[in-house]
Amino acid sequence: MVLYILNGLYFGAFLFLTSLGLTIILGVMGILNLAHGSLFALGAFMAAWTIGLLATGPPSTALILAIICSMALTAAVGFLLERSLIKPIIRRPLEYQLLITFGALLLMEDVIKLVWGGEARYASAPFDSMGRANLLGLEYPWYFVFVMALTALAGAAVWVVMARTRAGIMLRAIAMDRDMAEAMGIPIKRLSSLAFMLGASMAGLAGALMVPTSPALLGIGMEPLIMAFIVVVIGGMGSLKGAVVGSLLVGQARSFGVGFLPELEMPILFLIAVLILIGRPQGMFGKG
Amino acid sequence: MAGRLRRREFVKWTGAGALGVATGATFSSRAYGATKKEVPKGPIKIAAVSFLTGAAAAPFGIPGDNTFKMMADIYNQQGGILGRKIELKSYDEAGGADAQVKLARKLIMEDKVDVILGYISSGDCKAVLPLSDELGALIVAYDCGSHELLEGEKSPFKYPKYTLGFRSKAHLGIDNIGLALMIKKYLPNVKKIAGINPDYAWGRESWRVFEVAMKKLFPGIEVAVTLWPALGATDYTAHITTLMNSGADIVHSSLWGGDAVTFTKQAIGMGLFQKTRMAYSRGEPYPQELGADFPEDQLICCAGTHYFLYPPHDKWPLNKWFVEEYHKRYNKYPTYPCYHAYQAFAVYKAAVEKAASLVGGWPTPEEIAAAMKGLAIETPSGYLHIDQDHNGREDVLVGFTKKVEGYPFPILDPKRMEVFPAHMVNAPAGVRTEDWIQSWKV
Amino acid sequence: MAGLATKRKKTGALVLLIIGFVLLPQVIPSYQLVLLESGLCFAILGLGFNLLLRYTGLLSFGHGAYFAAGAYAVGMIGRYAPELYRMEVLIPAAIVFSAILAAIFGFVCVRHTRIFFSILTLALSMLVFATLVKLYYVTGGSDGIRVGIPPVLGHAFKGMRRPQFLEGFYYYFLLGWVIVSVAFMYLLVRSPFGKAIQAVRDNEIRAEMIGIRVKRFRWWAFLVSGAYAGLAGGLWSFVNGHVTPELAHWVFSGEVVYMTLLGGFKSFAGPIVGAIVFTFLKLYAVSGTEYWMLIIGITLIGIVLLLPGGLVGGLVILLERAKARAPWRS
Repeated sequence: MVLYILNGLYFGAFLFLTSLGLTIILGVMGILNLAHGSLFALGAFMAAWTIGLLATGPPSTALILAIICSMALTAAVGFLLERSLIKPIIRRPLEYQLLITFGALLLMEDVIKLVWGGEARYASAPFDSMGRANLLGLEYPWYFVFVMALTALAGAAVWVVMARTRAGIMLRAIAMDRDMAEAMGIPIKRLSSLAFMLGASMAGLAGALMVPTSPALLGIGMEPLIMAFIVVVIGGMGSLKGAVVGSLLVGQARSFGVGFLPELEMPILFLIAVLILIGRPQGMFGKG
Repeated sequence: MAGRLRRREFVKWTGAGALGVATGATFSSRAYGATKKEVPKGPIKIAAVSFLTGAAAAPFGIPGDNTFKMMADIYNQQGGILGRKIELKSYDEAGGADAQVKLARKLIMEDKVDVILGYISSGDCKAVLPLSDELGALIVAYDCGSHELLEGEKSPFKYPKYTLGFRSKAHLGIDNIGLALMIKKYLPNVKKIAGINPDYAWGRESWRVFEVAMKKLFPGIEVAVTLWPALGATDYTAHITTLMNSGADIVHSSLWGGDAVTFTKQAIGMGLFQKTRMAYSRGEPYPQELGADFPEDQLICCAGTHYFLYPPHDKWPLNKWFVEEYHKRYNKYPTYPCYHAYQAFAVYKAAVEKAASLVGGWPTPEEIAAAMKGLAIETPSGYLHIDQDHNGREDVLVGFTKKVEGYPFPILDPKRMEVFPAHMVNAPAGVRTEDWIQSWKV
Repeated sequence: MAGLATKRKKTGALVLLIIGFVLLPQVIPSYQLVLLESGLCFAILGLGFNLLLRYTGLLSFGHGAYFAAGAYAVGMIGRYAPELYRMEVLIPAAIVFSAILAAIFGFVCVRHTRIFFSILTLALSMLVFATLVKLYYVTGGSDGIRVGIPPVLGHAFKGMRRPQFLEGFYYYFLLGWVIVSVAFMYLLVRSPFGKAIQAVRDNEIRAEMIGIRVKRFRWWAFLVSGAYAGLAGGLWSFVNGHVTPELAHWVFSGEVVYMTLLGGFKSFAGPIVGAIVFTFLKLYAVSGTEYWMLIIGITLIGIVLLLPGGLVGGLVILLERAKARAPWRS
């Protein structure tokens, strides 16, 4: 039983990171970033490559470096995407926005293929080297504990930025009312880039953390995108609290779903999302 | 007088006879020549379809594709098929069943290939093989295992299902029946089993055959849990926890390719192998893929008798040659996708040659198909027989993994290896595998 | 006088176009014809989709669900009720099945607008996708269902291979449906109903004030749009011979949006042009290079940034420029 809960938390950690990024971008810019999964994939490939390069050294160092590199890369790509693709269409109708991020997704998938090729990339040294802990009489991989701890840290850091720093407060102001914020002199353009970079780096972090347990593969970003989407719908668009609660819920639902209702795991998650959209479209904590 | 006459008559009759035979021969060969073209000069276009990208590429698609290329090269060095050079082009099996249907359609209708040798995924096979009759071209499925591909809905069923569609290997019946027989022999005290299989034709059918066979051999056996991750899923942590909690003695899995590698790595890290034993219905490539980390004492089935150490090199020179040639070119030992690729290509070549010897010239797809039915050829793994239902028939090798000096990965324990002969693990043509199992007298 | 001349010219051009299509099988090779038929099915899909987008102002990012409903209606009847497997049953079944689905989903969706509407349509279609994948024993799961050639009005195409079927009878059958769909949609958007939904699109509050029941009209548009998608799906299932859950995945729905914008969603013919062009574009990209997603992605971004009016929009601009330079030519 405890193991199911732990697994739910572990899975929820990844959900949290990706949905956090998605919800920040959605909240601050009103854009549903369909390329978010590709940013996750980019983080995964970058981390796998870095860990592979540093294979001769200690795995923990390799992991830390990989995380830093992935986050830096995805933040940079996020900035590029925002400046070149999002900015020109920010005032245009919704269909153009969705399509251009869709185009970015297709583009990035093949760029990844160009750079890293079509084969699966494994980088399990950090996972194996950490071994298993003995928690409450149960054996549990230390790596999973590490992931959960790091995610909690990242979440806390983002919360501090949003709640305590000037930039964070301005971001929340833009999310609440974009026109009003602009009227009050908030530098929308610069902050939009910041929001996108922050969101992208979260996706990159998630990808990097995934790689020691699962291979980096072409198309690996599709499922995280959909799952993040479900979490954002349930938790509420633009809400950090929603991302936390939503990812906890969905993580547990999946863990127990696989354990007890293995035939129905995916449809149930979508059904929950649909019911929430029908009953309370802004999600649990989103604004109307 | 009578003698001379008789001799003259003899000469006359012999002459007439000879003339008659000669004329007859000329006419008949002209008759054949009139309806059959001569062997064209141009190359034979062969399309080889395997996973060249994605998780299945490294353990499956690329070894299979390598073998196709290797054999094309070797056959061309020997003069090609009936003197025609082979032009082999490789295509990626990625994209799912729908993309493969579109690719096959393009290969047949636009590129006009002579034959497609391909398909690892049962989902792709089931979608593409019907196109053989639909579009009028030969398709030889080389690696997929779905037994329903060529079996009917009920026993007895009419066969062959497709005139121009073949599978140059046995189907998943041998893997799962072989595992069940092995468990009966070596682990007769098994009480609880579980299953983790990919959620598509291959996984669903593999489990079904295994379950039916186990229930027949172990009446009263309990199935603790069956899990169905999506094909290509990369996160098995929840599944592994569930399996570790299930109390199963043996966990059956038809996970293959990248899925099997990822699953095993995660399972090693989470400690699954301390709690239970895995039985991989198609496990043969994975010890080599995972290297020394692969746990010992797990059940591995070889999808036939395809294993680089079997048949023993001193007893079966063709395997010795095959392993050495593949290792020379690609620096790895061939795994079962390689053996299967060899089979598909060899079967095609043999069928073309056999058909040509009967009809002369270059045979049509229908003539090649007629020759392919009932064909028996020598392969590096032993004899392969293509039965009347267009399925291959093979023996199956099952073993336990064990670390042995001299190899960088666990091999099959030579003291606990079994080869089950074809008649014990293949249903006869026209009978559904599940029905055949139920009919056993145990 | 000039108006009548242009109208006659337009009708003349249309008649020529139809004749061209009718004669096409004699001219183009079998494989390209099959591709074109795929494109024609998507044209019907795009036409229905655009009813929602352009005329009602609602962007559906899950239209694949209704296409899948039509396609699977055919597949499931083939699998479970083979005695009903006749063209005269299958096409109506595809339309009805998808219309019912659209009615149910539409009821839920039309209560919302803008991004909420799109997200809801996306979630609903993914629900359909996940259900189709997971119910392996009912729907064949991710492997899909095969679709054979059905008899039409008692005539069974025995022994005919699919390419012959598609080159012969089916091409004209499909063409007939395309003409009917185009005509019906043309009349619909010019009808009072069409005017009403455009009013709703332009100003919801004002439309409500003059007595148009906004949600009701949107729901009807959703229903018709879904039925079009279902018809397209049913027709397409015979061309492809195989139906899979991917049809309900959001990526396919994204391609529908792409096709429509590629052709130009502000024009009536845009979705039709876009659907046919996209079908060929995608197939030649896929067979031409392994980096086909790069090509599609770049063309997509290019269209959004440089040619928002799509191909038809671009063509109109070119024609206007030509006219501006040569005003003496009418």
